[in-house]
Amino acid sequence: MVVGIKDAAKLIGISIISCCAVLVCTLFLNYYLDVLQIEGLLSSEQAVIFYHAQVSTAKVVCGVSGGCLLVTSVVMLFFYIKHYIDTHKKELGILKALGYSNLRIARNFWVFSTGVLLGAAVGFLGAFLLMPGFYERQNESGLLPEIAVSFHPSLLLYLVALPTIAFAVLAVLYAALKLKRPVLLLLKNNYQSPSKIKRVKESSDCPFLEDLRKHTLRTKKTLVFFIIFASFCFSAMTQMAASMDELASEMMGIMILLIGVVLAFTTLLLAITTVIKGNTKTIAMMRVFGYSQKECSHALLGGYRPMSYIGFALGTVYQYALLRIMVDVVFKDMEGVPAYEFDFPVMFLSLAFFLVVYEVVMHCYAEQIKKISVKEIMLE
Amino acid sequence: MIEVNAVTKSYGSKDNKLLVLKGITAKIADGDFVVILGASGSGKSTFLNVVSGLEQPDGGSVKYDGRDITKLSDSELTSFRKDTVGFIFQQYYLLPNMTVEKNVRMGADLAGKSGYREIIKAVGLEKKLKKYPGELSGGEQQRVSIARALAKKPNVLFLDEPTGALDEQTGRQVLDYISALQKERGFTMVMVTHNQNIAQMANTVIKMNSGKITEVSTNETPKTAYEIGW
Repeated sequence: MVVGIKDAAKLIGISIISCCAVLVCTLFLNYYLDVLQIEGLLSSEQAVIFYHAQVSTAKVVCGVSGGCLLVTSVVMLFFYIKHYIDTHKKELGILKALGYSNLRIARNFWVFSTGVLLGAAVGFLGAFLLMPGFYERQNESGLLPEIAVSFHPSLLLYLVALPTIAFAVLAVLYAALKLKRPVLLLLKNNYQSPSKIKRVKESSDCPFLEDLRKHTLRTKKTLVFFIIFASFCFSAMTQMAASMDELASEMMGIMILLIGVVLAFTTLLLAITTVIKGNTKTIAMMRVFGYSQKECSHALLGGYRPMSYIGFALGTVYQYALLRIMVDVVFKDMEGVPAYEFDFPVMFLSLAFFLVVYEVVMHCYAEQIKKISVKEIMLE
Repeated sequence: MIEVNAVTKSYGSKDNKLLVLKGITAKIADGDFVVILGASGSGKSTFLNVVSGLEQPDGGSVKYDGRDITKLSDSELTSFRKDTVGFIFQQYYLLPNMTVEKNVRMGADLAGKSGYREIIKAVGLEKKLKKYPGELSGGEQQRVSIARALAKKPNVLFLDEPTGALDEQTGRQVLDYISALQKERGFTMVMVTHNQNIAQMANTVIKMNSGKITEVSTNETPKTAYEIGW
């Protein structure tokens, strides 16, 4: 077997994202399915408006967070597969040279979906643990009749079984696509086909370190996406969590905060670890030449800082727009919904916390760069 | 002047220790072209790594004009490598996504960038400035790594089997470029090789076997890259 369960165990990032996505979607979809059953029992106009608001909320939350996290999981799956193929080029090249077809090798990549299965299963179970409290909070006003928690087998199928199968198929197809390379390209370590060279316009006047910084960003666009996504999650979820105290409940706030922080850290750590691992030889060579640790880390990691600020800004706008829509559109006919305004103190607090955490993480990784031995250059 | 005194180096754990350098003592004069000759496993590459400051020895000292580099901290060693030494490896280790010019600037920027175009010209790559390593032959890639190492204007150039991955004709061409540049610029050159013929190009030949220096000889009339056998 080319790809083992041990390799799939490294997919912790996908597991965490799947867990968060399935947790949120199970909570709201299960509630949605249960709340549909009480439609005929509504007696007052206020209860009907509240009911429709609850149904819309469930749809919006599932659509937005489920969709967003699904896209991220797919991007992450593709990233892991590409990374795996890049780091196991020789073994895969030997198999191809022996006559194994792309599809036959790619079939082994189904194990990458076990990360999704694990995350989805944990998320699904976690949702059922939280559900009684969640139902209670959702109907805190008592406008709706009592809603009992029911188990809907269809959700198990749609949120756990089908995603696992879909990710297994995607993993195999994507791996087959990525394996469509000449055998020589896989077998030779530093060989790069001239047609595959990523040409970047270089200025002769631009210093080497500045160029390296730009190259690191341009050649690994997926990692730029992950850094933006990480800061986006942090910004959106921490600010949204603070607003949730007033708009929904403390429990919702804590849930959103936890999901945001976990997602942000998982993605950030994954991205930076990959940047450093992927540049170990470059770092070692730079150290051999006499570049300092500070110069190495600035050239390789410094370019991501502006990206993280962009992510933070996007997250701020996203959470404001989402809450604005919820208050102005979904809950527009509801009485007693608190007025929602952009919360500047919360944004500045979130930004300050983000800056501190980001710089601490980067400092830790800069220390890791320091530990890369110049001997790495000889280990080939 | 480089003075190596009673250098020892071993690898492995206590029970499974492999002594690679067994008390090596040698002197390398400024501007000399030294070849360290030995079979595979003789300890020649480890010797080069220790003398160049890439590895710390277990014992002994390595002095550059009286300054013992085995006592330097990590940041001092980085600074030493930046100011004093250059490296050329068998596998080139060029940055694949950067052009020839930018690869050379990796070394040149450390020495204030001046004159790097002349070095590119000196190794015959002035028309390939904007090419990527993947578009060059093995010999051309090694010439880029020579230009990169020399662009930082080192006092001492260390070469670990620089022609190991090249065919005879290309190997001779690369050696010719290196020795011409050494004569022109006067830096000290220490080259590790297992090819006895290449040793005929050096002023001084240090032969190694099983972690020890077995012979030090000098060539009165060193040969050129095109005069030696292969």
